[in-house]
Amino acid sequence: MRTNYLFPFNSRYFGIGLILIHIPVKLLWDASYPGGYAHQNSSSDAAGSFLFSPPHLFFIGTTLMVLVGLFLIAFSKEKVEDEQIIQLRLDSLRWSIYLNYAILLFSLVFTRGSDSHHILLLNIWLPLLFFIIRFQWVLYRLNRSAQSNDTDTHQ
Amino acid sequence: MKNRIRIERAIKEITQAELAGRVDVSRQTINSIESNRYIPSTLLALKIARVFGKAVEEIFYLEDSDQ
Repeated sequence: MRTNYLFPFNSRYFGIGLILIHIPVKLLWDASYPGGYAHQNSSSDAAGSFLFSPPHLFFIGTTLMVLVGLFLIAFSKEKVEDEQIIQLRLDSLRWSIYLNYAILLFSLVFTRGSDSHHILLLNIWLPLLFFIIRFQWVLYRLNRSAQSNDTDTHQ
Repeated sequence: MKNRIRIERAIKEITQAELAGRVDVSRQTINSIESNRYIPSTLLALKIARVFGKAVEEIFYLEDSDQ
């Protein structure tokens, strides 16, 4: 039996929960401390306590919540994780890497300064998001074609 | 590569779901194989052939375009 290093099926719900919790937390923080992470951080950086400053800790906390959430959604097993699902998973992963690097290369050429910093931040979660969307889309199409074949057979 | 799974299922009177359960895959995968949209691994082809009590070559066969 092949080991596929995936999380249990139900861990996706924990992942969705983490992302949902992150939204109101982020909105509350932004309402309390307007100006954005870069602005808040630059002021703390000047004071020399950047690593343990509240804006940085908040940024790390929320980024981790989103990343772990996306990771659990992307890499939790399907109800029946068979060889076709594994193939679709790998195919989606390949497309997400292609697309991500296309955007990264395009951004490197056409952006500079703080924009390129934002692109790097985007690259933290963009491949996972592409992967989830593409994988769920092919699963949806697979289920639909199976259902339409059933209808054809019964007619 | 084509196959005779649909015919063999009809002879044995088993559903896609029953066959899927016996070879540990999803019903959608059996459906994809029957519709020639997915080519199974050697392991899965052997398992499917065993369910029908036949050799793999009697269930799966190459098309002209594969040769």
